[in-house]
This record gives sequence, structure tokens and C-alpha cells, in this order.
Amino acid sequence: MSKKLGSGLGDFESLVKDGAVDLLNHIEVGDFSSAIKVIQELSEARHNSFYKEVGTLTRSLHDAIRDFQVDSMDLVVGEEHAGSGNTKITDASDRLKYVIELTSSAANKTMDMVDGSVPVASELQNQARELRKDWNRLIQRDLSPQEFRELYKRIDVFLKYADDSATTLHSNLNTILLEQGYQDLTGQVITRVNDLIRDVEERLVHLVAVAGRVDSISGMEHDKSEAEHDDTRGHGPAINKQNNPEVLNSQDEVDDLLSSLGF
Amino acid sequence: MKILIVDDFSTMRRIIKNLLRDLGFTNTVEADDGTTALPILQAGTIDFLVTDWNMPGMTGIELLRAVRADDKLKSIPVLMVTAEAKRDQIIAAAQAGVNGYVVKPFTAVALKEKIEKIFERIDAAK
Repeated sequence: MSKKLGSGLGDFESLVKDGAVDLLNHIEVGDFSSAIKVIQELSEARHNSFYKEVGTLTRSLHDAIRDFQVDSMDLVVGEEHAGSGNTKITDASDRLKYVIELTSSAANKTMDMVDGSVPVASELQNQARELRKDWNRLIQRDLSPQEFRELYKRIDVFLKYADDSATTLHSNLNTILLEQGYQDLTGQVITRVNDLIRDVEERLVHLVAVAGRVDSISGMEHDKSEAEHDDTRGHGPAINKQNNPEVLNSQDEVDDLLSSLGF
Repeated sequence: MKILIVDDFSTMRRIIKNLLRDLGFTNTVEADDGTTALPILQAGTIDFLVTDWNMPGMTGIELLRAVRADDKLKSIPVLMVTAEAKRDQIIAAAQAGVNGYVVKPFTAVALKEKIEKIFERIDAAK
């Protein structure tokens, strides 16, 4: 075992390989004291590599945390963000809350406009139907002069009402149109949060790689079984439905499945 | 006909409420999850239950199971209106005794069709 303790996992692995060969050779020739010495050297090398990797992991973790603090400071300075000490994560969480508020407000405002428009359209329809009945009687020359004079007045009232209604509906439709601006605003917010998640993921992947080296040197095994997501709690809307055979793509598929179950 | 609408999002409750009103069902009450829905159901005036699946507290499938397990409530028709569309979940809902399953996003036509179908079945069973 001439090789000095190297750096990194690869060196440690080749050290173990070489040591194993040495160990076998010593045992074959009956040189047990040398064999024990090899075992001790291996154990020492493992010890050193382990601490070295834990050190790297700790440093990476420390850097990641520090970077986040630096980034959040940038955010505070760059965007004159109120409440200093906000991390990027709490900022992202605030942003997502804003998305919920904005979408909720747009949905409610839109529904307010619809609620306001439906009775107007119904009333317009009712009045038009009533007038049409009498109008048809007029065409068939079935109206008395008195009824004709009333119809004459009612048409005037109706035209005024139709004009006003159209103005109301027009304005409500415009409000609905403008409310859709939430898509732009929320889209921008979500893009930013998405960037943050990507950033966090990259750093976590790096940490996992370092932690993996520690695991392999220490011989630690983790329970790899993935926790099955409980259907009872729900999964939320399915994204990428086409790629998941477990998810049904449409109401028709749901209906087919239910009818196959005897529904 | 008094209908209980259970969904954690007020906008979705409002959409369903408006669609039901268009279908002629004007008597509706709302709850935001299973935990708040159960006492309303137990008060005994609800004839029809429309529920989401994914809600904080008590979920829709748990609410459905609780309704079916309660002698006084078990005959209430339950329509699930949810974004949950996994095969296993739909089978679980069917096994729990759901009367209809509408996946979000849905159309007014789909909701109408499922509700009418449920009433047709109930009338046929009478």
C-alpha cells in the first residue's frame, strides 16, 4: 500500500481496490501482521475521506444558504422590497399568494359582470317577445286603433330600453375583457417563481451529489422506497395528462370507465 | 330541492351555483370542505350534494364515505366535480358510492347532463 491518501471518492475507491489485492496477497503467504496493517490503513483512509467529504458537504450547504441570503439582499435592494430579511422563498410564497388573490378577484369581477348582464339580456328577450306578439297582430291587421296607439308607445319605450341595455352589456363585456389582464400579471409572477425553483433545484442536486459521496464512503444505505402519494388527499389538476396512462384525459374517458364499472 | 356545494375555492362554488341556478336549482348552500359540510348535511335539509375532491381538512372522498356510512344521509345523491382524474381515484369514488363524476375544467352541458342522469336514475328507482 504505497499510495498516499488521495482526494475524492475515485481515489478512495481505487485505494480500497488496491488494498483488497494487497490484503489477499498477504493472507495467501500467511503474513497476517501485514494483512492487519492493510486493514488499518484502509480504515484510516476511509475515515479521512469521510471527513473530507462531510467537510465538502458542509461547505456546499453553507454556500447555498449564504447565496440565498445574498440573493435575497439583492432582491431587497433591487426591488425596494419592504420588510428586509425576506428570503427568496418567502418572497416566492408571497408572489404565489398574489397570484391566488389576483385570479380570485378577476374571477369574481367577471362573474359579477355576468350576473349583472344575465337579467338585462333576459328582460330584453321578454320585452321583445311581448312586442312581437302584438307586432304580428298588427301585420295581420288584427289591432284596434286603441291597441295600435299603445303599441306605438311601447315600441318607443322598448327602443330606448334596447339602447340602454346594449350600453350596459357593452360596458360589462369590456370590464370582463379588461379583467383578463390577470393572465399577463400572474404569468410574469409565475415565471419568476419558476426561475427560483430551477435555481434551488440545481443547488439541491449539487448537495445531493456531495451527500451521495459521503454515503458511499460511510457505507450508509437509505430507504429508497418512494412514499406512495395517497389518493385520498388528492393530486390536484393533472399536468402532462397525455404522458400518464393512469390519468384520464377527458370527461368521455371518465364516463367510459364509469360505465364499464356498471354506472 | 336544496343543494349543498362543497369546494374550497369560492370562485368554483360560485360557478357551480350559477350553473345550477340556470338549471332551475335556486336553493343552494355552500361549504368549503368536508368538515364544514358534514354538520350542514346532518342538519337534515340537504337533498343533493355536489363536492370537490381535493380540499384541506376533510376531502371530498372522505366526505362521500362519511355520507354513505351515515344511516340518515346515505341516500343523498352525490355528484363529484373535481380536477382529480386518476383511474384509481375514479374507481375509488365509484366504489364509495358516488352518483356522478365530472372532471374539471367542465362545461355547463356536462354538469347538466350528469345531474339529469342522476335524477333520471332516482326517478326510475322509485
